[in-house]
Amino acid sequence: MTTAVQPAGGGGGVERPSASGLADVIDTILDKGLVLDAYVRVSLVGIELLTIDARVVIASVDTYLRFAEAVNRLEISNTEQKGLPDLLDDVTSGGAKSKTKGVLDAAGDKLKEFLNEDSSDSRERVRRGRDG
Amino acid sequence: MPAGKKPEHAVYIYGIVPSDVETTLDARGVGSPPAKVRTVARGDIAALVSLVDTKKPLGRPEDLTAHEALLDQTAAEAPVLPVRFGAVMTDEEAVVEELLSAHYEEFVTALEELEGKAEFVVRGRYELDAVLREMLAADEEVVRLRDAIRDKPEDATRNERMALGERIANAIAARREVDTQTVVQALTDVGGTVNVREPTHDEDAAHVACLIDLSAQHDLESAVDKIAREWVDRVNVRLLGPLAPYDFVVKTEV
Repeated sequence: MTTAVQPAGGGGGVERPSASGLADVIDTILDKGLVLDAYVRVSLVGIELLTIDARVVIASVDTYLRFAEAVNRLEISNTEQKGLPDLLDDVTSGGAKSKTKGVLDAAGDKLKEFLNEDSSDSRERVRRGRDG
Repeated sequence: MPAGKKPEHAVYIYGIVPSDVETTLDARGVGSPPAKVRTVARGDIAALVSLVDTKKPLGRPEDLTAHEALLDQTAAEAPVLPVRFGAVMTDEEAVVEELLSAHYEEFVTALEELEGKAEFVVRGRYELDAVLREMLAADEEVVRLRDAIRDKPEDATRNERMALGERIANAIAARREVDTQTVVQALTDVGGTVNVREPTHDEDAAHVACLIDLSAQHDLESAVDKIAREWVDRVNVRLLGPLAPYDFVVKTEV
């Protein structure tokens, strides 16, 4: 077990992304917000939506097996470290941890990668005329 | 609209705003190339709209982010009623008559209630290894099952793996409930109205939407930052916003 020492005023605070990543956008605009069907009936136009495929749904079985494997990996890294000096122990632990995390996060991060070029675009696109 | 024949263009709707909101020249919406966004007004309210090609499917990543980006940037400046992705009407006249005029008072009232407010979303994600180590230290059954699968092929230990995984998933769900409550309390304490979202990832620690006065944004950020520091190395915390109030608009009578 390692103890992380945080630099004063440094890491550990809340992340403040300047724009929502694709995974967050999908969580937000596909099943939230006003449903226009409740207001308008005659003039709605049906248009093909591709978004169904974009949702990530993870089945329970896959989740369970993934968690089990994560525990298995933890154990392997601990076993291999037995008898090694403390310093080396820390380094090995960090490496094993990163590897596991990489595998586990891959699915979620894949979506976000699509949109990296857009997330830096924080230009103002609307403004308000009130009081002006 | 002539019956049986679908027109080539229709009007895509992003949201409803006070009519003193103006779009700027670089406001871009859904479609490829991105369509220019404009407002269609009726009295004190207006719809944010753009023309859309009815023959092309919508829903590319660029379409989704364009929809949300436009609404979120609006929310930082003015109240907005966000419409769910994918709403399309025949033409601007229909938007004015069937949508804005037909529900005028309802929209005016809702926009007045949202004046000066915006949504923020707090999202916590467990650092899985840290949580697993907590469980190994606290639950003998987890240790037993881990020993049962150790160094054995997946096929031969499927039942044990399923039992272990389920136990971990349940333990995460129990932690999520407690940690979500911590976030809810902190957001309520700084004056926010809270709506807890369903988790959308197995390792979600908290997923909470909050409607709050923009004047309290700094208090909110400090409160969430405090939680993030308390949870360092255990939960990764992100704060999104200001966003349009997606989680706080509902049609009451359908």
